[in-house]
Amino acid sequence: MRRPEHLVVALVLIVGAALGAWALWPTKVPDLRLPALDERAVFDPEQLREAQQFERFLHWNSLASMVAVLIVLGLYAWRGHRLARESAAGRIGTGMLLGMLGLGILWITQIPFGLVELWWARRHGAADDVGYLEWLLSYWLSLSGEFAFICLALVIVMGFAQVLRGRWWVAGAPTFVALYVLFSYTLPWLIPDDRPMRDPALVAAAREYAREQGTEPIPVRIEEVSAYTDSPNAFAAGMDSSRKIFIWDTLLDGRFADDEVRMVLAHEIAHHSREHIWKGVGWYALFAVPGTFLIALATRRRGSLREAQAVPVALFAFVALSMAAQPIVNVVGRRMESEADWVALETTEDPDAARDLFVHFTEFALADPSPPSWASALFDTHPTMLDRIRMAEAWRARSEGRSHP
Amino acid sequence: MNVWAFGVVFSAIAQWFVIVVRGRPAAPLTDFHVAFVRYTTNVGAYFALTANPFPGFLGEQGYPLDVEIDVAEQHGRLSAAFRLILAVPALLALTILDGQGAVATYVPVGGVVFFAAFLGWFACLALGRMPLGLRNLTAYGLRYAAEVYAYVLLVTATYPTTDPTLPASAGPTPEHPIILEVTDDRRRSRLTTFFRLFLTVPHMVWLLLWGIAVVFVVVGQWLFALATGRPAAPLRRLLAAYIRYQTHVGAFLFMVANPFPGFTGRPGYPIDVHVAPAERQSRWVTLFRLFLGVPAFILNGALNALLVAAGIGGWFAALAIGRMPEGLRNAGAHALRYNAQVNAYATLVTDRYPFSGPPTLEPIETPWADPLPAPVDATA
Repeated sequence: MRRPEHLVVALVLIVGAALGAWALWPTKVPDLRLPALDERAVFDPEQLREAQQFERFLHWNSLASMVAVLIVLGLYAWRGHRLARESAAGRIGTGMLLGMLGLGILWITQIPFGLVELWWARRHGAADDVGYLEWLLSYWLSLSGEFAFICLALVIVMGFAQVLRGRWWVAGAPTFVALYVLFSYTLPWLIPDDRPMRDPALVAAAREYAREQGTEPIPVRIEEVSAYTDSPNAFAAGMDSSRKIFIWDTLLDGRFADDEVRMVLAHEIAHHSREHIWKGVGWYALFAVPGTFLIALATRRRGSLREAQAVPVALFAFVALSMAAQPIVNVVGRRMESEADWVALETTEDPDAARDLFVHFTEFALADPSPPSWASALFDTHPTMLDRIRMAEAWRARSEGRSHP
Repeated sequence: MNVWAFGVVFSAIAQWFVIVVRGRPAAPLTDFHVAFVRYTTNVGAYFALTANPFPGFLGEQGYPLDVEIDVAEQHGRLSAAFRLILAVPALLALTILDGQGAVATYVPVGGVVFFAAFLGWFACLALGRMPLGLRNLTAYGLRYAAEVYAYVLLVTATYPTTDPTLPASAGPTPEHPIILEVTDDRRRSRLTTFFRLFLTVPHMVWLLLWGIAVVFVVVGQWLFALATGRPAAPLRRLLAAYIRYQTHVGAFLFMVANPFPGFTGRPGYPIDVHVAPAERQSRWVTLFRLFLGVPAFILNGALNALLVAAGIGGWFAALAIGRMPEGLRNAGAHALRYNAQVNAYATLVTDRYPFSGPPTLEPIETPWADPLPAPVDATA
């Protein structure tokens, strides 16, 4: 493509992305004025200090890891193409080798940061059950999945590039979106160690909340994770006929009251009732199309992704773009989570349960309830715990206003 | 044998002290150990049917499977002091080759030699002869055992080699329609070595998918060959490419070759398989192919263990020195060659039975017109 053509394409993509974002942006959360809240009044000061200290270190460690990754991948983009000599495969096979080696180098780069993080977590009692060797082994084994994934991605991209050359992204981006949909649809069947939730009260509550939120009943599954972690969590997965809600068994080990668990259920059902998985696909498409276009631009000088030598540059461009897009992705994620919180409050009408839940989350996960804004922008996919509590209080005030006009 | 072994334990300790102090072995003890190594080899050969006559009890020379030992006059004191530790990798390889290996090769209860001897027993009962391939394979294992014992007992300072091409005294390798060409230079990239297992993941996926198709193709080929007495050429080409690809992937995974292989089984890889043009095949052999292949499948399993061991040993060596030791490379190549011949037999690419013996140093001629460059290195 020539320069004027690039500009036209870029313009079209910007306008398309803006229109898409405009369509996906609205939520059910009203224009709220969140009340001021002193975190020391909500959380135990000693616990708060420890959580802040714990997370501050992790944030800086993650930031250092990101910088290291960028430097290493930058060097790989510069020199990595020389490793093509280690291949007897054709273009695509050699591209796969270079992609896997890039990930392998990335893996080595992140080992020290991962070990430091584990050391820090163990020091604060947040990962007592995980040994260093065990962590290294599981980290090592995770490579096979990553290698398989990057090979699939490169087969698609380089396959299209053999035919479309620099315009591979025109077919590549929709293919990735289609794969994203496929993965989102099949995810519930890929979750290991799960069983149906049998507690009749919670099952009835889930059915009732789904009805109140105007959606069909959604199966709730319990995921057995207590052998590996004691962190609490839950998530919504699947779309249409595959919709499910997964609750970690650590959430049902007695540390959380029933009304808190019901709040979690209402929150996860809201992700489905508000079509957040489908909206996630929409947002993914908004990033995938310009993202693949930019990667195609970045690899032009190495002969586009038709040539294996362009793969290290593509890998660097992909990681750099992902990091650059992360704050925006997090904004989108936080917006959806806020909507799910709000819908859950509207459903349960129990702000006390929400407040208790978020306080307990903070306590058990040793999470800083109000991290620095830069850290929140870079790393937080959910609103801060303090903001979530403030939303619960805002809902209470608004509800009382409705009750007493 | 137990009397010998009892005496050797004490004499070896005495020899160890002598060498660590003087740097030279005590000649009488060396002679004693040489006789012991020769005796264990003779007895092992008798048990494994590598040789026929009942062996003497004193390790005399002249047995049909005899060992020549280059006795070391001088030993490095340091190397002698840590001999048992240094010998650990060789003892592990011996366990793969000879089953009990390190303890008693003369009573093989597992490993390559055991399975070769087990199959050879049936062959000897039926034919009154030990098949050449099995005989050479057991001889290879026994030779390695002798080298390991000689090394551990401080008879020699030379580290044992798993190279199956040594020595060349086992006789010429018979012609076979499936041969392995080795043009590998033994250089190994440390980076690809480190990630070797996971770099093979896409190939494993592809191999699996291809393998599913191959099952149906083989069934079709079997019916065709039964009907016409010849394999169908297009199917045979596909199966030959699959065997080549399988060999390339095996060579990459187990460190027998360095470069990342292609996905189509195209010729040109440093460890490559050459397939002779198709010939008529006996319908009887075709009909009972799977049953006839059982002994080869058993032996192939044992040789695959050798391949894995060579790969693991080679992985550490290549990470350390950036090269694959020749012995391990050739041992792996031998296992791959047999694997290719077994697969070619099973998939009706050829009806020639796999030759299990290690190839010798003699150059392998390509007796058919080959569009590729002639094999330049037949050491594997």
